[in-house]
Amino acid sequence: MVEGPGVTTRAASRVARTAAAPRGASWIEALAVHAVFVLVVVFFLVPFLWLFTAAFDADAVAYIRFPAAPTLNNFVRIFTEHDFGRALLNSVFVAGSTMVLDVIAVALAGYSLSRLEWRFKSWITYAVLLLQTMPLSATMVPIYGLARALGLRNSYAGLILIHAAIELPFLVWLMKNFFDNVPRYLEEAAWLDGRSKLRALAEIVLPVARNGIGVVAGLAFLAAWAEVLMMIILIDSQDLKTVPLAFYETLRTQGGYTEVQYGLVAAMGVLYAVPVMALFLMTRRMMVRGLVASSRGL
Amino acid sequence: MARVEYDDVSKRFPTQDRPAVDHLGLDVANGEFLVLLGPSGCGKTTALRMLAGLEYPDSGDILIDGRSVVRLEPKDRDVALVFQSYALYPHMSVRDNIQYPLRVRKQLTAMERLSKVDRVADLLGIRQLLPRRPAQLSGGEQQRVALARAIVREPRVFLMDEPLSNLDAKLRTHTRTELKALQKQLGVTTIFVTHDQAEAMTMGDRIAVLDAGKLQQLGTPDNVYQRPANLFVAQFIGSPPMNIVDARRDGGALVLTGGWRVEAPRGLAGSDGIKVGLRPESIDLERAPASGAQPAEVLVSEPLGSEVIVNVKLGDALLKIRTGPDVRPDPGTPVYLRARPGGVRVFDASSGAALN
Amino acid sequence: MLARNSTYIAGVAPAAVLLALFFVGPALWALYSSLTNLALVGIDAANPRFVGLDNYTRLFADPDFWTVIRNSVTFVVGSAVIGQFGLGLALALLIDHAEHRRWWLGTLAYGAVLLAWVNPTLIAGFLWVAMYDFFFGSLNHVFLSSLGASSVDWIGSFPMPAVIVANIWRGTAFTMIIFLGALKTIPPDIYEAARIDGANAWRRFWDHTLPSLRPIAALALLSITMSTFGTFIVIQTLTNGGPGNATEVIALFAFHTAFKSFSIGYGSAIAVVMLGLNFAFAIAYLRWSRARA
Repeated sequence: MVEGPGVTTRAASRVARTAAAPRGASWIEALAVHAVFVLVVVFFLVPFLWLFTAAFDADAVAYIRFPAAPTLNNFVRIFTEHDFGRALLNSVFVAGSTMVLDVIAVALAGYSLSRLEWRFKSWITYAVLLLQTMPLSATMVPIYGLARALGLRNSYAGLILIHAAIELPFLVWLMKNFFDNVPRYLEEAAWLDGRSKLRALAEIVLPVARNGIGVVAGLAFLAAWAEVLMMIILIDSQDLKTVPLAFYETLRTQGGYTEVQYGLVAAMGVLYAVPVMALFLMTRRMMVRGLVASSRGL
Repeated sequence: MARVEYDDVSKRFPTQDRPAVDHLGLDVANGEFLVLLGPSGCGKTTALRMLAGLEYPDSGDILIDGRSVVRLEPKDRDVALVFQSYALYPHMSVRDNIQYPLRVRKQLTAMERLSKVDRVADLLGIRQLLPRRPAQLSGGEQQRVALARAIVREPRVFLMDEPLSNLDAKLRTHTRTELKALQKQLGVTTIFVTHDQAEAMTMGDRIAVLDAGKLQQLGTPDNVYQRPANLFVAQFIGSPPMNIVDARRDGGALVLTGGWRVEAPRGLAGSDGIKVGLRPESIDLERAPASGAQPAEVLVSEPLGSEVIVNVKLGDALLKIRTGPDVRPDPGTPVYLRARPGGVRVFDASSGAALN
Repeated sequence: MLARNSTYIAGVAPAAVLLALFFVGPALWALYSSLTNLALVGIDAANPRFVGLDNYTRLFADPDFWTVIRNSVTFVVGSAVIGQFGLGLALALLIDHAEHRRWWLGTLAYGAVLLAWVNPTLIAGFLWVAMYDFFFGSLNHVFLSSLGASSVDWIGSFPMPAVIVANIWRGTAFTMIIFLGALKTIPPDIYEAARIDGANAWRRFWDHTLPSLRPIAALALLSITMSTFGTFIVIQTLTNGGPGNATEVIALFAFHTAFKSFSIGYGSAIAVVMLGLNFAFAIAYLRWSRARA
């Protein structure tokens, strides 16, 4: 969060190391590195190239070809024939509610963990990190059983609660780090000015940590939007079908892969993936910084 | 307007083995400017924060106007604290910062609030800063805004935690004078924490000197300077500090290190192992031998413009002596020392307590 | 002590309830049901019996289980250790280098790698389904045919490499980002001092760059090992564990056991094994990062 010194050091490092490069670095090196980059770009972008050409191709096929007459026909069809609008609304509602729930729970928990003075506090942090590493694929069977027992299957409440929980350990830990950087004297000043702890948090600490709240909100929304495993095991009602489920079904239910209507699936894929990619790339710096910070461990 | 009492207050942090504040008792009169003075880690800030409600005492009681406040939340104590780092809310304008405590209390209309903010801003000469954000202000300006935010509330007590330590030296001296005048004008009981003895001497009605969590001495600046209660106070207050040398009794006289005989002060309590303290201005320096004057040798002279500090070697001790600006003996010059009557302080060597 | 912290303890409560319900609860429930013969349907669904460690003895005697473990290890080593970690490190070094030389293609490569990672996993699986398609996939229909080569049945003949490549594509960005971040924290004066000492570019790289990446490398490796170990969606979309059980990794095995064979108790035993292995990795991770701090 402190931009100043970090940036200067980085800029200085750039200058120093540019200068450190041998003069007239050989063109062979430049060529080799650029060749690698070309291969990397091709490898990582070609699948997307297919996704975006197929989505606008009325008779899309499994291989990349540029549509003779680009059309929005596929997009029209997924809304008219496959009720994709319903799926979009469901996804927006579930991801949005998950985001709200996560922001509230994460702000309270992150702040409390940051300010708590307790001998075993570090153990709480370890426990949170431990939970974060638990693979969902390991607990999906018990979660299925639990959701069934609690009547959370095929319900918005179930989807929202479970998706809020999935990213919670990571987000709490991330938010705690943001709060650790908010000096305590700010909230102390607000208490002395007459505010309760909760109001001081809302009026003083949260606005100061708003970058952190933004990152948490963004990540919570994106994770709930993109997640599919829990959707598969929790939902079989058509009314509650979300974007990934619509996509998954269109892909799955049309017999073998060769019969897949690639144009339709690609159009759904575009609408499924683009919001995630756009939001992430727009906030790339903040997201990447959060991630790098998290990798530094404790 | 309030009287503040600390009644045998103790506080120990779980991570530390000795108490941060150890059986502190203090009584601050209504309208008084009391300075809590001591080195870092002496417990002065903890004492202040317990009064604010930001820390909880383990034992003892804290009273404002005779009523215990230790069970009250900070918001219910009606005290204002100026933080060392000012604690301005970075996302609010200066005006919003200053009126924040008024908005919280909801006793005034918006118009009344604004006129009050303007009055306080005028008082501190920061009216032109009102629309700005804290990040756009200099350190001195931020300090004034923090002060304004405390004043606007008209609290029962002002608490100040080293509010001048982030200012540069010149501004600090200036603000010192101003703050003192302002406090007298407003008449609000003020408790001011600092590690700077000059600040304490110039500002405080009384000074409470703390070390290792314990109150060492409570008194007026003159009292604390002239009659330090123990060796710690003697050496902490004054610049340069009091000269302390080993000594022994010899009848009605005291024999200092290097064989210097000085007359023992009247009413000296009985004790064997003693140290003698002499303020730099309590020693007269003479160039020619005289009866009763102790010969010594100049080590170095430090001219400070209005005065000169002459460092003199006496036996194995080094004495700092304050002289007029025209006295500048060269190193190696023989000089003759005479202790001013009434300037000799005697301390118990083992307990450090003053004996006269 | 408690009174002073009570507000903060209350603040943790909502998050703690969610975590207890959907993390700790399921883990404990898995532990319990792995000791029963609980099933999804039939008489055992209504009245599960306590069967002790039967599920575990059955599991460890099951040749399929050992095939699955072998598959999982191959998948983790191939896609996480060699692929994501190795490629991620190499790309980080190249992109950092390109940044100093102001080669903009490095930035484009960075963006491309990142895009594959932020993309929903399900899409990643689907895109590679299309890429690998025998009759009309881009790999056969566009690349191989333009080279004049005949089509290859990618998924049929090379199922494990196929899912590994898809997972490398999806996950390389994580290690790349971590290493790029670490490279930026190396103080420049180290390089200046080394240059003054007469070290050439390779020596500077071996003596200074790599050693300063070592601590973060261990954490990144443990972290991607854990997440790769639980991979489900990519493989499920591409092969669903097939052909046969050639790509059946442990997460798919647990899923198939529970939802295809309807044996929840047995599936839970697999889940407990997964959780146990993961726990071991996580402890190693925590010890390592605590040793660094």
